[in-house]
Amino acid sequence: MERRRAVAAAASRPLVAVLRVALLVASIATIAPTSARADSPLADDRILDAPSDAIRLRSVTLLVTGFDQFGYGYQSKAGPTMGPGSERETIFEPEVEIVATQGDRLTHRLWVPVDLVTNASPHAPDVTTQASQQVQGGSVDWTTTYRANPKTDVSIRGAIHLEEPFRSWTSGIGVRRSLADDATVISASLLAAFDWFDRFSVDGTKNGRADRSSSTGSLALTQVLTPTTVANVSYGITSQDGELGNAWNIVPLASGSRGSELLPTSRTRSALVGRASQWLPWNGALRLYYRLYADSWGIVAHSMEGQLMQRITPELYVGGYYRFHTQSGASFFTTLAPLDATFRTADSDLAPLDSQTVGGKIVVDLPTSAGPYGVRGLHFELACERYFRTNDLQVNIVSWATGFRF
Amino acid sequence: MRALRLVLAIAAMGTTACATVPQNRRARLADPMMSVTDGPLEAARRQKFYDVREGAAGGDGAAAGGGCGCQ
Repeated sequence: MERRRAVAAAASRPLVAVLRVALLVASIATIAPTSARADSPLADDRILDAPSDAIRLRSVTLLVTGFDQFGYGYQSKAGPTMGPGSERETIFEPEVEIVATQGDRLTHRLWVPVDLVTNASPHAPDVTTQASQQVQGGSVDWTTTYRANPKTDVSIRGAIHLEEPFRSWTSGIGVRRSLADDATVISASLLAAFDWFDRFSVDGTKNGRADRSSSTGSLALTQVLTPTTVANVSYGITSQDGELGNAWNIVPLASGSRGSELLPTSRTRSALVGRASQWLPWNGALRLYYRLYADSWGIVAHSMEGQLMQRITPELYVGGYYRFHTQSGASFFTTLAPLDATFRTADSDLAPLDSQTVGGKIVVDLPTSAGPYGVRGLHFELACERYFRTNDLQVNIVSWATGFRF
Repeated sequence: MRALRLVLAIAAMGTTACATVPQNRRARLADPMMSVTDGPLEAARRQKFYDVREGAAGGDGAAAGGGCGCQ
C-alpha cells in the first residue's frame, strides 16, 4: 500500500511542477503592463528616458583648494649661497568639472583646473613650480567615453596646459571591459604628454627653450572579492626624454658658488599599486592603499595609506586618513656637489625622505530624486589635511567641493 | 624571491574571482565610501600634490610632466 502511494506521488510530481509554472506565468501576465502604443501617454519612451542624441548635463562640480607651504630646500636661491633657501608659497587652486551625456553611448567630461601661485619666489627665479613671484596657470582637459557595448568602454582624452614659462599638451586613449557579471573590470590606458618651457641660467636670465616628452602605459584590474570587499591592482610604466628638470633649480658647489642642476635626459619610472575597500559592520568602510615605485634614477619609494569612513546618515559620512611615504634619494642627489660631477641635483623632492599626511573630511550627498527643502542632487565635501616631511617641508591644505548631479 | 611572492599573492587574489558575487549582494559596494579610488577631482588634486613634492611621480596611470616643471 505504502509503495503504491509513493509511486502515485512520484508520478504526480511533474504534473504539479507544470501546474505551478503555468500559474506563475499567468500571475506575471496579469500584473505586467501590456505594451502601450507609441502615442499613448504610457508609452515606454514617455516613462523612461527617450533615446536621443541631445546633450544632457549630468553633473557640475566646483572644487577649491588652498595650499599654504613652509620649508627650506637646497635647490632654492631664496637663502644663503650654500643654502638651504625658502620654499614658502601659497597656492589657490579652483577647478570645475562638467559631465554630460550625448545620446546613449557618449559621455563627455570637461575639467578646467586653475593654479594661482602667490609668494612663489620672493627673491629669485626659483620655486617648486614657477619662475616668478606670482604665476597663474590653467588647463583644459576633455575626455570622451564611448560605450561600445554594455561591457566595453573606450575613452579618448586631450588636454592643454598653459603656464607662464610652460606649454604642455596631453593626449591619451583608454579601454575598459567588465567581465563575470561586472564582478571583474580590466582597463588599459596610454597617455602621452609633451612639455615646452623656458630654460633659465643660474643667474635667472632666460636661456632659450627646452622640451620633454612623457609616455605612460598602465593596466588595472578591479575585482569584487566578497559582498563587502573589493580590490584593485594596477601597474604602470612611464618613459621620459628631454629636459627633466624645471631649468631654474640650483646646486651648491664645493667651490662655494652655485651651479645649475645637471640631470640625465631620460628616465623610466614604474609603479605597482594595490587598493582594497572593506565594508565594516557599523556602517563604516576601511580603505587601504599601497604603492611601490622605482625609477632609473635610483629612487625606490613605498607609499601606504589607510582611510576610515563612517556613515552618519544616508546622506552624510565622515572620514579620517593617514598616509606614510618613504623614498630613497636619486643616486646623484647632493647638497654640496663636486665640480666634476656628471649629474647633480639638490632638489629636496629627490632627496631621501619620509613624509606623512593626516587629514579628515565630511561629505554630504543628497539624492537626485528628492532632498530636504527641495534641494536635489547636492554634493558637498570639506577636507583638511596637514603634510609634513622629514627634510623640512610642511603644507596645510583645505579644500571644499560643491556640485549638483542631475 | 620577492617577485615570486608577489605573483603568488596576485594569483591567490585571482582564485577568489572564481566564485562571482551576484549583483544583488553588492549593495554595500555601491556606497560611495567603498570606492577603491577617490573621486576624479580629489584623486587628481592629491596625485598632483604628491607628484610635485616627492619626486616619485608617474607610472600609475597619470602622466608625469604636463605642467609643473619639477616632475
